[in-house]
Amino acid sequence: MIAFTDIVGMDLAKQALMLLAVDPSLGGVVIPAAVGSGKSTLARAFADILPEDTPFVELPLNVTEDRLIGGVDLEATLTKGERVVQHGVLSKAHGGVLYVDSLSLLDSSAVSHVMDAMSRGEVLVEREGLSEVHPADFMLIGTYDPSDGDVRMGLLDRVGMIVPFTTQNDYRARKLIVNCVLGKKDNEDTEDELKMLRGLIKAAKEQLHLVSMTKEQKEGLIQSAISLGVEGNRVDVFAIKAALASAALAQRSDVDEDDLKLALKLVLVPRATRMPQQEEEVMDEMPPEDEMPPDTPESEDQEAPEDSSDPDEEEQEETPDMIEELMMEAVETELPDNIMNISLAAKRKSKSGSRGEALNNRRGRFVRSQEGEMRSGKVAIIPTLISAAPWQESRKKERKKKFGKVNTALVINKEDVRIKKFRDKSGTLYIFMVDASGSMALNRMRQAKGAVAHLLENAYVHRDQVSLISFRGKEAQLLLPPSQSVDRAKRELDVLPTGGGTPLASALFLGWETAKQARTKGVSQIMFVVITDGRGNISLQSLYDQDAAKPTKEEVQEEIEALSASIFADGIASVIIDTQMNYLSRGEAPKLAEKLGGRYFYLPNAKAEEIALAALS
Amino acid sequence: MSQTASAAKKTASTKAKAAPTVKKASGPKKARTKKKQGQAFPFTAIVGQDEMKLSLILNIIDPRIGGVLVMGHRGTGKSTTVRALAEVLPMIERVKDDVYNRSVSEYIEGEKPAKGQKALTPEDLTIEDIPVPVVDLPLGATEDRVCGTIDIEQALTSGVKAFEPGLLAQSNRGFLYIDEVNLLDDHLVDVLLDVAASGRNVVEREGISIRHPARFVLVGSGNPEEGELRPQLLDRFGLHARIITITDVGSRVEIVKRRHEYDDDPQAFLKKWTREQKKLQRKILKAKETLSEVTMSEDVLTDVARLCMQLGIDGHRGELTITRTANAYAAFNGDTAVTMDHVRAIAGLALRHRLRKDPLETLDPGEKIERELAKVLGEAEEV
Repeated sequence: MIAFTDIVGMDLAKQALMLLAVDPSLGGVVIPAAVGSGKSTLARAFADILPEDTPFVELPLNVTEDRLIGGVDLEATLTKGERVVQHGVLSKAHGGVLYVDSLSLLDSSAVSHVMDAMSRGEVLVEREGLSEVHPADFMLIGTYDPSDGDVRMGLLDRVGMIVPFTTQNDYRARKLIVNCVLGKKDNEDTEDELKMLRGLIKAAKEQLHLVSMTKEQKEGLIQSAISLGVEGNRVDVFAIKAALASAALAQRSDVDEDDLKLALKLVLVPRATRMPQQEEEVMDEMPPEDEMPPDTPESEDQEAPEDSSDPDEEEQEETPDMIEELMMEAVETELPDNIMNISLAAKRKSKSGSRGEALNNRRGRFVRSQEGEMRSGKVAIIPTLISAAPWQESRKKERKKKFGKVNTALVINKEDVRIKKFRDKSGTLYIFMVDASGSMALNRMRQAKGAVAHLLENAYVHRDQVSLISFRGKEAQLLLPPSQSVDRAKRELDVLPTGGGTPLASALFLGWETAKQARTKGVSQIMFVVITDGRGNISLQSLYDQDAAKPTKEEVQEEIEALSASIFADGIASVIIDTQMNYLSRGEAPKLAEKLGGRYFYLPNAKAEEIALAALS
Repeated sequence: MSQTASAAKKTASTKAKAAPTVKKASGPKKARTKKKQGQAFPFTAIVGQDEMKLSLILNIIDPRIGGVLVMGHRGTGKSTTVRALAEVLPMIERVKDDVYNRSVSEYIEGEKPAKGQKALTPEDLTIEDIPVPVVDLPLGATEDRVCGTIDIEQALTSGVKAFEPGLLAQSNRGFLYIDEVNLLDDHLVDVLLDVAASGRNVVEREGISIRHPARFVLVGSGNPEEGELRPQLLDRFGLHARIITITDVGSRVEIVKRRHEYDDDPQAFLKKWTREQKKLQRKILKAKETLSEVTMSEDVLTDVARLCMQLGIDGHRGELTITRTANAYAAFNGDTAVTMDHVRAIAGLALRHRLRKDPLETLDPGEKIERELAKVLGEAEEV
């Protein structure tokens, strides 16, 4: 076991955990980090700095609903002859820590229950004849690898701090970690260090009541939340609490710049949906999902940090200067190079809800049991016994009356049978790849938009999701990760720029990647809907190898064909909508359809409905 | 986040024990009084979010409006507001200890006398006042707890088959609240739709046959980005309130301040707000009394019908809802005659979710309603 103090690197994560130890009402810490960064080690070591006997409960990813929420303990119930209740994992974490490793892989129904418990501070158990309220006030520690997918925003909203994601690898630090693992560090040192740290936190907890913050500082943080386009008002409280806890840790009674900066870094910036300099206009109805015009990533990237020192910003008078500066600093240091990555937040918003998931009788992960016909699925033995148990006495009495004796130890009737319900993302994920190059692009966009909207209107019934990829210029771009939101899909298509080269291969590749990721989340059926003239002219190769010679047309075509064949072999269905005017056609699109093993539709002037129908057929 | 980290814990042992009833399980089983889980944040102390607050209030004034769906940004106080509702609700009369919260007439209707027994008369019953119940339906609830099932403890210990009422029973004549309603499992949605349509809950199992009234105001909340709501369920909600992030620094500072005060000393904070709470309660009560006197003139009625027609709203539910809501709104304002101003104030709430969806329409439903309203009133130039 590696102690908290032995872990080197991940300073910001450690700071976040210490703030949480000082003020548990900060709700929790989420740490996104790559594999092997030591994030889970750190999370588990968090117990070191908490008071002794603080519960530390790890939530297994395959948890069933009754284990999570609580339910009847069958064994104890049958032996005792009265109902014995078993508390769920959420309640077991009461007063302590609930730790989830690979948080982004947690089933969305489980996520909903965790969210609900966090906002109530208790769990409502309304299950299998039970109606109870169990306390469940805990801190949530979640770690995950962003390449596994994103964490639902609703959950992040209830967690005070999100450690900014960095991929930097500090070799010195890693070496030290290794040394720790090998036990080369003196144990006594560790024990002393831990003692000191615990003392520090205890002192900070006492100090916390004495720390105060000026009205300007509070307003500054709130204004920053607004400028960064953070959704909801809950963050204000978290940001203020983080700043107070930070001051308390330093044994100060006033909040200073460092505290504010830390609050910005850990609470606000990770949830930003836009750069602070942008105009207010975006905050009208819903905050923008991803405001950057997708066409000019390079130029915007370089401009952004310069803008921050621009005289323009003085126009925002209501923001106290200091906070504004701090905010810019926090934004810059955490988000150095790419404005598109302004935060994980903008991307995360795309996470679609559990509507794509249906309970079924056969496939997926077992989540609960439900009444059902014996033949319609797998019988859940224990829930069946539980539901039969209460009737035993009365049924035996009845049988005795009728037949004079009872032959069986258990009388199980048809109504007692419980069938296992599994959760599986059924429905289809439609990945739209829209050719945004060339002159016909606008027309295709309009068609695609309508088709997507049509598909999504029915999405509920079919539990379908759509994802959008546009391709133009050098590279394809994922505009919309798998989602069910009609509004979002429409919005993404509204701002789509057009013109330039046709990186068809890049689009296919990106689509395939998206498909693979969706599969890890349980989506089983995937369909590509490619709306193009089929004439790809930018190779995938050129993207990764800038110095390579310009590929010939044949090479580009070869690449597309190879990729298509692999995608076909991977079991992905496709529909190709050819939008090229006939007199120009050289048969690229039919060829693409053939390689993808997909259906081909020639619809140069297709109506949106026709495309939707083609995809559904 | 520990809002009300109340230790209030309801265990099986504190549950009211029922008198054993072997054959007629619907007998006089003692009502389970839900323990208060700490005092909720005062309704009147909630900053902003007027649409949501108004829709809830109008539903108290006239429960026939059909509930509210609150959709919008996370972290904007949706569930806090709904949970705060309980404190401003009026009292209702029910037959003493009735688990289904039935009124005298409902009770007599439900308890048909057995052969040879005399029919119940109102004089046989004691009544009591209870606050309008607000029942939380958590996502993880199982169907048996929602509809009610056999009392397991009694069955295990004495073999007696007694019916243990579920959440639907508790919510009769009250509010049923579902947070994250768009994530509710399909089979529960089916149950709800069924019961909401018929106003009664039916449970049939060996030796148990229960029908009880289950008329409740359905309140749902959620974040649209987490998933879409099933169309049939969407249609069930009378009103649709939207809620968005408050972007005014002053209001947000106030929110933080009140939250802090409340967390610091809930009792003192509640006391500070008692007057406002009482004031609102009185206003609601008065509106409930006024409601029967509120009338809508032929002219207004015609305009409402024209509005619904021009918006292409199918069926009569839209018209009915907007009329009832406008009446309640007039009553809330102390008026007895509904004007088009009243209608305008609530048209968005009542109709927003009933507009036919056009995938290519970019206009916000609220704006569309506003535009059509202006046309009906002859304020806009006809296009």
